[in-house]
Amino acid sequence: MDSRKILIVDDNADIRLGMHLRLKANQYETFFAADAFSGVAEARKHRPDLIILDLGLPAGDGFTVMERLSQIPFLAVIPVIVVSARDGLGNQKRAYDAGAKAFLQKPVNDAELLAVIRQALGEPAGTKKPTLHDQGSV
Amino acid sequence: MTEPTRRKSELTAYLSHELRNALACIQQFGNILVDGLAGELSGEQREYIGIMLENASKIRSVLDSALDGVPDPLEKCTNKIERASGLET
Repeated sequence: MDSRKILIVDDNADIRLGMHLRLKANQYETFFAADAFSGVAEARKHRPDLIILDLGLPAGDGFTVMERLSQIPFLAVIPVIVVSARDGLGNQKRAYDAGAKAFLQKPVNDAELLAVIRQALGEPAGTKKPTLHDQGSV
Repeated sequence: MTEPTRRKSELTAYLSHELRNALACIQQFGNILVDGLAGELSGEQREYIGIMLENASKIRSVLDSALDGVPDPLEKCTNKIERASGLET
């Protein structure tokens, strides 16, 4: 079975690299964008199975990305998981209203992120390798 | 909202955002090392990174309780410090 494709939209290069390493270790293929404009462009180009989206982005923000995705039928069906350092109070509701499948506030627990990804992709629970830290070994 | 209060709220929102992003990187790469995604570690190395991650979790708890989700986070944070230091009037 081919790897599921995940687009990571985040303006922080370290976050993108860290997520890439974690997702690659769990057999996902990753693509990247560092701003709102590129986020939509990369989604058009790669047609990912899922998008991990930051809210604070150059050239717009995460809400702009979700609005643009929703206007393009073949992109509107892609599940979006918002992972943001912004306050969850107002942004969480706004993200769900915009169509996000989940809202996670940074810093994100790896096991939680992988569980949310699996759920959004309709994969059975526990098919990916949890981290040793999440298992309480560290 | 008064101007000083608005500026305090903006400052705390900025601080929370920046600290959360930095903390996310520390935890992310700490876990990557612990899980051996960048090569195997010795027991001692794993122990030290574990200490680093535990302390990162403590910082997150402080952020969650002191800076987020309150109308005036700086005031809440100041009150906590005053209570902890016995300076509360």
